[in-house]
Amino acid sequence: MTASPLMIEARGVQKWYPNGFHALRGVDLSVSRGEVVVIMGPSGSGKSTFIRTFNALEDFQEGTITIDGIALSNDLRNIDAIRCDTGMVFQQFNLFPHLTVLENLTLAPVAVRKRRRAEVEAQALGLLERVGIAEQAGKYPGQLSGGQQQRVAIARSLCMEPRILLFDEPTSALDPEMVGEVLEVMRALAADGMTMVVVTHEMGFAREVAHRVVLMSEGQIVEEAAPTTFFTNPQHERSRQFLAQIL
Amino acid sequence: MTTSSSPPLLPPRPAPPSARRSWRGALRQELFATPLDGVISVLLLAALLAAGVGFWHWAFRQAQWAVIQANTTLFAVGRYPLLQQWRLWLLVTLAGATIGASWGLLRSHPRADRSGTLWPINDLVAIAVLAFVAAWLPVALKLPVPLQLRWWAITALLLVLRGVSGQWGQLVPRRLLRFLPLLWPALYLFGMVLIAGGLGVPRVPPSEWGGLLLTLLMASFAILLSFPIGIVVALGRRSTLPLLRWSSVLYIEFIRGAPLITLLFLGQNILGYMLPGGWAPDRVWRAAWVLTFFCGAYLAEAVRAGLAAVPVGQLEAARSLGLSVPQALRHVVLPQALRIALPATVGQFISLLQDTTLLSLIGLLDLLGTARTVMANPEFLGKNAEVYLTLAVLFWCCCAALGLGSRALERRLDPSHSPT
Repeated sequence: MTASPLMIEARGVQKWYPNGFHALRGVDLSVSRGEVVVIMGPSGSGKSTFIRTFNALEDFQEGTITIDGIALSNDLRNIDAIRCDTGMVFQQFNLFPHLTVLENLTLAPVAVRKRRRAEVEAQALGLLERVGIAEQAGKYPGQLSGGQQQRVAIARSLCMEPRILLFDEPTSALDPEMVGEVLEVMRALAADGMTMVVVTHEMGFAREVAHRVVLMSEGQIVEEAAPTTFFTNPQHERSRQFLAQIL
Repeated sequence: MTTSSSPPLLPPRPAPPSARRSWRGALRQELFATPLDGVISVLLLAALLAAGVGFWHWAFRQAQWAVIQANTTLFAVGRYPLLQQWRLWLLVTLAGATIGASWGLLRSHPRADRSGTLWPINDLVAIAVLAFVAAWLPVALKLPVPLQLRWWAITALLLVLRGVSGQWGQLVPRRLLRFLPLLWPALYLFGMVLIAGGLGVPRVPPSEWGGLLLTLLMASFAILLSFPIGIVVALGRRSTLPLLRWSSVLYIEFIRGAPLITLLFLGQNILGYMLPGGWAPDRVWRAAWVLTFFCGAYLAEAVRAGLAAVPVGQLEAARSLGLSVPQALRHVVLPQALRIALPATVGQFISLLQDTTLLSLIGLLDLLGTARTVMANPEFLGKNAEVYLTLAVLFWCCCAALGLGSRALERRLDPSHSPT
């Protein structure tokens, strides 16, 4: 049996912020096709910064990152190509408030991929159906609940047919009763074999869905393990402390 | 284990009647709630009444409006050659038709999901006011009967087109509808040709333009050209390229650091050297360019404030979907930034319109310049109050139109609920 091809390969990534803060201190991570990796860690540990380097929203000074065979470099064409294939879901949703839900979904496929609007609209309606809000297609984001907005944001990413989805604390800004509906969509995506890197504090999701859990602290990966091992028998003192705090 | 029955939830009930006040109750509440409120209200009402009666008495008993009636053409178009004035009538007719058609089409195509922002009663008021003014003003100005008839015909055309396009605008195919806003720039360019000549129409040099025509022409020219300048400079000021950023800052701070009248005098003297040959051959056009660059600097600051108000996550989301920077600006950032900047932008346009009166100080015959020549005429000595009041009303009408238009646009662009 051959191993699945690597979708993300980060080697020795180092990043300093302009103020001199050493945010990432030599991080290594490999993610195979169809794998779901959950990154946990205290705030300020660099986990958001790390996944934002995967689609070049953050730059880095040393190390290499290869996304689906394309090396991240300063070449803008590479960056645009990677961004088209790498969807990102943000904590604050970041839907475009001046566009309807449907227009939020169709904007990028029409403007970037130059696809025909009618065809994209049909696909977008299908995606909205899949995340359970097809009836809201004509509304504006401000008219939706937080959970609905985040599901639109996921559908918007899917409309570009990405090969990797990055989630940056997708449920942290939601009211508790809306967390479930977003996690359910993410579960379905994982079951369909989407490659996902998820920064989250949702233990239940990590335990059930993740293939691997990674704990970051102070810009480094402290522990990397299967969820059962991670939650029941963590190897490092730092992991035990973190789990004690969030349990 | 079963849960014990929870207490029943209360159904909603209508608000108690006390919340809906009668108009007499409201009046007492608003004006005479306490003795002090009552005294202030009575004093203010008395002062307003006295001022109103005094103004009425002056305007309809003492004032001699012959100074306006005898000079309507001068106030409207200055010394524009009489034989060429048919061009301006044609332009006004076309503008009336375009306004009527646009008005009706806007009404027959409310944007999806924003029906709550349409108030039909406003339309009826606007039509009534327009019809009244159009019927009364030509008579009050004692225009010759053929001219009165022309104004009535143009107004009728506007209202009929508004009615027709409001009623049957739905029948216009969507594909065509997207291009209809282009009627406005087309009308503007055609209007410029009509006014200035060219393309086979005899030339009328700018030195013969005047009055309201010159004022509106200068203001609209500066408004249209300063808008793109403002956007480009605002983006330049936020650019990561140092040279672009510095030159944007230099331009903005230079313009904002000098009074407009200084720049106008400076422009008359040095703009001829700065612009490529033939671009600024005439005093009128030099002034127009100064107004444009002046307004552009202030607009850049308004647009910059709008850009700063768009959350950085919007650009990040657009970029992470693969949009290039120009695409993200065009589809995501600028639409939001310009909507935020709209009130400040229109405020800038309104002050620009009023700033055109400074043109009279460099010797151009705009509305104020024309007024000064009229008041200097021995025949109309001492009629300053009539003339200045007329100017004030004219400017007020233009500014009110800009303000109303901007508020309508704001409502139309407003996503029904702003995001949290």
